[in-house]
Amino acid sequence: MAETTVKEKKSGLSFGKAERKLLTDPLNDNNPITVQVLGICSALAVTTLLNKAIVMAIAVVFVTAFANLITSLLRTYIPKQVRMIVQLVIIAFLVTVVELTLKAVSYPIYKELSVFIGLIITNCIVMGRLEAFAMANNAYKSFLDGLGNGFGYGIILIMIAAIREFFGKGSLLNFKIIGSGSEYLIDTNTSMLFGWYEPNVLMVLFPSAMFVIGVLIWIQRSWNKKLVDIS
Amino acid sequence: MHSTAYITRFVLIMTTIVAMVLAFLSFGLKPIHKKNEAVYNKKAILSAIADQLEGDYTKMTDDEVQGIFDKNITQEVINMEGTVLGSEDVIAAGYPGGRAEDIDMRKEKKKSDEDRIFPIYTYTKADGEKLYILSVVGNGLWDAIWGNIALKSDKNTIAGVAFDHAGETPGLGAEIKDNQAWVDQFKGKSIYDEQGNFVSVDVKKAGGTKNLPHAVDGITGATITADGVDAMLEDGLEFYEPFLKKNN
Amino acid sequence: MELVNIFIKSAFIENLALAYFLGMCSYLAVSKTVKTAFGLGLAVIFVLGITMPINWIINTHLLGESGIFKTDLTFLRFILFIAVIASMVQLVEMVVEKFSPSLYNSLGIFLPLITVNCAILGGSLFMVSKEYNFSESVAFGLGGGFGWFLAIIAIAAIREKIKYSNVPPALRGLGMAFLLTGLMGLAFMSLMGIDPGSISN
Repeated sequence: MAETTVKEKKSGLSFGKAERKLLTDPLNDNNPITVQVLGICSALAVTTLLNKAIVMAIAVVFVTAFANLITSLLRTYIPKQVRMIVQLVIIAFLVTVVELTLKAVSYPIYKELSVFIGLIITNCIVMGRLEAFAMANNAYKSFLDGLGNGFGYGIILIMIAAIREFFGKGSLLNFKIIGSGSEYLIDTNTSMLFGWYEPNVLMVLFPSAMFVIGVLIWIQRSWNKKLVDIS
Repeated sequence: MHSTAYITRFVLIMTTIVAMVLAFLSFGLKPIHKKNEAVYNKKAILSAIADQLEGDYTKMTDDEVQGIFDKNITQEVINMEGTVLGSEDVIAAGYPGGRAEDIDMRKEKKKSDEDRIFPIYTYTKADGEKLYILSVVGNGLWDAIWGNIALKSDKNTIAGVAFDHAGETPGLGAEIKDNQAWVDQFKGKSIYDEQGNFVSVDVKKAGGTKNLPHAVDGITGATITADGVDAMLEDGLEFYEPFLKKNN
Repeated sequence: MELVNIFIKSAFIENLALAYFLGMCSYLAVSKTVKTAFGLGLAVIFVLGITMPINWIINTHLLGESGIFKTDLTFLRFILFIAVIASMVQLVEMVVEKFSPSLYNSLGIFLPLITVNCAILGGSLFMVSKEYNFSESVAFGLGGGFGWFLAIIAIAAIREKIKYSNVPPALRGLGMAFLLTGLMGLAFMSLMGIDPGSISN
């Protein structure tokens, strides 16, 4: 995040406490996934492998930041009656840009993510931030808010994917760490210490994403008591 | 509240801008997309003969992949009777490119058997030995599965296979692509019995197939995908039988 | 029979909510009581059933190379799909409001939520990637909607009961809903082995 700070300073815009809060708040206290419960759909489907999750996280950061920026710039011109559709068109436009770019840059990852790129459109984080923030704030603040929320989302995504890939397949970013076979760093066939270890296939199955997020929420709320649901 | 005229104007201007930017981007990137897709498909074919190639095909540049296809691989298209078709027949079947590599196996599967066409890639090794790569397609648990099967020059023994899938469960059905040890089982198995009858390669649930000539072990927890591979091999390879028998 | 297969498959085996986890935002937000879950579930069936065929027509006859423009316009797919969904939702809302105020009262507040329900857009995108034809996409839409409806009713019923259980404070509410959905997903996985052909025949 240091990069962003430098860039903002160069452009002559102030970066004070309020702006910092816009970036850091969504990382914990107001995290899009674990607190606001937005954008779960794609969080679950793409987190089987770490590299997929990282690409997805970058795509979401790009879309939230620029959708926020564009909407904020246009906010006085957008007719109230059709504002939902206008926002959706802006998001769909950015997502198409992401899709076309990804298809040109890394075709195999494009193939693996398939429909889930398109589903960023209905990722409620993007829409939610446009409604709640960009429609009422200036462009610079909206851009930061978009970045912050994108990062908050991305971090959880990457965390879930790292947990699932490591325990499910014994690898990280396709670098084989522990498992049965000589291509792994720790070969469970020969290792004295880890001979008992067996990757848990359940972790790469769909339901485990739910368990992992559930437990993450549990941990976060045990630390951060003010988030506890009293209802 | 804005007037209807304003809304119409706003929406029209916005859609025009958006459509123009996207059209520009899409047509500009199209050559790259086409090339990426072609290389992706070619690598899928090469993956069936991965250990016969000089060098790791996954690390090859786009040009190197294209080079192998230009230099070492000849493409042919056949129909159900095993007759080799010319490019005009392939174009008539719905592929403007007119080559074997243009054939979409999933599209072919929806046609009736008589109308289907099949690609054959012949890879000639440095020592002159020929490998025949056949394409098959079938159904897994969730969606389509497909694969390329490489036969040695006796047109019977399997030199290597590679499978892929549209959406099998990671860790279970997806192992047909990811689990190299499982894929390697196919090497050395044969598709004809000693009398020369077509028997395919069975994917056996029980396991212990190491020394059987026409069977491999299944995948734990992915019976349906494994059955899909079994059926795909049996149905798919049978289509090539007239061709394989004819030129012996 | 093929259509019945697709219906059963999309409702139970490839359940949009419990196998692909689509539409989770509204699924978690609106599943505190069975009554509201019922309304949202109905609305999802309705909108999926309408938008799927329309998007199919757009995708095949407008965007494809064999469509009326004879060029590949698939880069407009996302925008047109979401526009169709948003305008259909709006249209349905207006029609329902005019002709059945009582239905509007129970369903109305959920309709705007549906535009951003990933299950709707996801359904349309899956339809494209699975290359369904027209009638198959209708069956897929209705089946998918029905499956989603079942899933949200089930979680709402469980959440109504679990309110009276002694759950650790930090896990209360949201955390528990996630764990429950995961368990339901596991339960639905056991339907995976079923061959839908053997049910409908």
